[in-house]
Amino acid sequence: MTIAAPTAATAAAPVATRPLMRVQDLAVSFDNGAGPRIQAVDGVRMSIYPRQTLAVVGESGCGKSVTAMSALQLVPRPPGRVDRGRVLFRTKADPDRDVDLLSLTDRQMRDIRGNEIAMIFQEPMTSLNPVYTVGDQIMEAILLHQQVSPAYAREIALTAMRDVGIPEPERRITGYPHQFSGGMRQRVMIAMALACQPSLLLADEPTTALDVTIQAQILELLRELQRTRDMGIMLITHALGVVAENADVVCVMYAGRVVEYATVLELFDNPLHPYTRGLLASIPRIGTRKDRLVTIRDVVESPEEFTRLPGAAEGVRPWWPWHQPPADLARRTGPAGDFDLREVTPGHWVGLWRTAAVREQESRAPDLDYRREAPA
Amino acid sequence: MRTPLRYLDAVADPGLTPLETGATPGRGRRRWSLTGVIGLTILVLIGGACLATLPYTVGSGRYDDQRQSDARLPPFWTYPRGAADGARADDIRRYNELVPAATLARVAAAHDMTPEEALSSTSGPVMADLRRAWPRYWLGTDRLGRSLLLRCLAGGGISLGIGLAAAAISVFIGTFYGALSAYAGGKTDAVMMRVVDVLYGLPYVLLVVLIAVAADAGVDEYVSRARARQHWLDAGVARVFRAEHGRPPNAAERAAVLASPVNRHAELAAIALQQARADWGRDRHGPQPTLTSAAEVLQGTSSTGEALGTIAARAVPPRRLAPGARMALDLTTLLAAIGGVSWLTMARVIRGQVLSLKAQPFMEAARAIGVPWRRQFTRHLLPNLVGAIVVYATLTVPQAILQESFLSFLGIGVKPPLPSWGTLAAEGLGELNGYKSHWWLLVFPCLLLGTTLLALNFVGEGLREALDPKRGRR
Repeated sequence: MTIAAPTAATAAAPVATRPLMRVQDLAVSFDNGAGPRIQAVDGVRMSIYPRQTLAVVGESGCGKSVTAMSALQLVPRPPGRVDRGRVLFRTKADPDRDVDLLSLTDRQMRDIRGNEIAMIFQEPMTSLNPVYTVGDQIMEAILLHQQVSPAYAREIALTAMRDVGIPEPERRITGYPHQFSGGMRQRVMIAMALACQPSLLLADEPTTALDVTIQAQILELLRELQRTRDMGIMLITHALGVVAENADVVCVMYAGRVVEYATVLELFDNPLHPYTRGLLASIPRIGTRKDRLVTIRDVVESPEEFTRLPGAAEGVRPWWPWHQPPADLARRTGPAGDFDLREVTPGHWVGLWRTAAVREQESRAPDLDYRREAPA
Repeated sequence: MRTPLRYLDAVADPGLTPLETGATPGRGRRRWSLTGVIGLTILVLIGGACLATLPYTVGSGRYDDQRQSDARLPPFWTYPRGAADGARADDIRRYNELVPAATLARVAAAHDMTPEEALSSTSGPVMADLRRAWPRYWLGTDRLGRSLLLRCLAGGGISLGIGLAAAAISVFIGTFYGALSAYAGGKTDAVMMRVVDVLYGLPYVLLVVLIAVAADAGVDEYVSRARARQHWLDAGVARVFRAEHGRPPNAAERAAVLASPVNRHAELAAIALQQARADWGRDRHGPQPTLTSAAEVLQGTSSTGEALGTIAARAVPPRRLAPGARMALDLTTLLAAIGGVSWLTMARVIRGQVLSLKAQPFMEAARAIGVPWRRQFTRHLLPNLVGAIVVYATLTVPQAILQESFLSFLGIGVKPPLPSWGTLAAEGLGELNGYKSHWWLLVFPCLLLGTTLLALNFVGEGLREALDPKRGRR
């Protein structure tokens, strides 16, 4: 994992002054039969700018996918339920005003899905309907959202397939999903997602099921398409290598909360939350010999890791669900009353216990209009 | 610093992506399985013969043409060629007696015999000559001397028709019920499936009997219109009573009106005139009725009840139904009853399929591109169910045919003299005995039924293979 020479946040020219999408204090819980509701996501805040890649990192079940699914209202209800929060989105139709995606009706939401926000999924093997040709499936997205003739939709589909690098699209457009390899299917999914020129792409672990060569191709393809279309990408992943190569801004999640939010360089150079430090320390380095790898637990189980933040003396402590909350916890109503995502150093947010010291500080919502330099 | 892999360059050089272009593109070739084709051929032959001859066999009533003297004749191609003595000789003598008198006389004359001598010849050239004049039935006759071939054809038409129609009904109900139940999910799903469980708990014969009896009552009322006529009568009584008292009558008063003499009621004459005008208005035959001519209807009646009954019989006459129409109604009832109770398994299977399909990522992907609810159901869900639907439909057709046979055997289904393969087989079984087997009465209906059921299964398997795109790559 190599990171190119550091570039200042100011180096990238601002494309837009307002974010494309802002998630504000999102909380989603799931019914658990007789037991208490499971709080999948709580107090999540993040923002994405056009042409920016926001990587959402975390282990399985930390709420990455639920956050993305909530934005499209795809969380099954019941058992799911949005408890709090807003997802503000700048639509193509009315760029001056943000709409709250969570308040839209089903019909309004259908106009957003695929058209303004597209999503690609982890399993390219099963995300395509086996009984239709890939052409039918790409064209369906186009015909649903654009007033075009089927013949013209086919032209768009062919162009989209060509854009995602499917050779001989005229021949492949009549093929069924089972006639495509995994990488090709993921390309079809991307072509489907891009056919309507969405301004935001939610990529839910798009490369997890693919081998590393194909993975590199797909990610390079996404980057290329992002550059040409000014598209924002939310890249959900748990591969830190993918993050280092592709992301502009990183959002680390744990147990349904955002524990750290910073630019990719800042995060890798200066991780502030012990969990992030553990995550980074656990990556084995090629060329070093070790009997035992560092685990996240090694890091988070040492108490001094939690007293390193600026302001630790006043009681600023990183939030950690397995710890006893600090005595001077300034609770507020709501499930996430003990938690706050705060800008600890400029451009670097960390999830903290909401102690009295934290409450007194001023802090803005996580918001980084940063893109790293395009590779030459 | 790694050189980024430029995907678009890679495409320009086809050498870099040999695996990606290796798969066979385009539509999978449709392969027809041999067994499927054979099954379809047999099915078309049998089904076509049975259904196409229905107008000839059932439409003209030939399936019920009886000739008592020809009872229980075997298929003509199994007739004995001669016998010295024993049971066979008795048979031959019996067949000889069925030869028309003129032919018998001619044969006897040719061999210098009396007709009586010729009749008792059970071998040799005389018998061979007579043998040519024996009655010829391709599949023999039953105990009433009806041609088994015609009855098998008619029965096949009825069995297949009921089987296919009942299966179609059950597949339709089952598919939509199961799919909607699974798709709705939650409480709706629970309630809908509990309904299926309860129906499963009831014996299906009971349900079929209930449906058949209810439908029969409905048909009876449609034909006789007894209730409608009674209703008309009550309205007439009320009208007569109200003209005198200005209020509707109670039960005792109604009886009093019915028993009262005709002459007292001017209103009765008005009703008669109204009906006479209505009758006249239908065909405009003869002079327009007047109050006087209408009152003639009331002349021969002694009480108001009788007079109203006479008018009611003209106002609400019973419908006349052709015997064929009544038969068709009975059959429709039967197939609706069978179809109406055999969708339960189908609904459960489809529900299971939909539940697993619903969790498939491609359904989520369809939602993510904004496909509306109804379109997700019809475009993405139903086509994936085709395999299951076809398989269960082909299983349901023979099942429905078997159920029809069973019900016919119990006397609820196809009513004699109308045949079905089931009733024919049941009759044939009854004709088996140790002395004379009458095997043809059992063998041919069973053979036809068995072959058809087997062919249906082959066709179902072939269809499944042809319709399933995942199998196209072999």
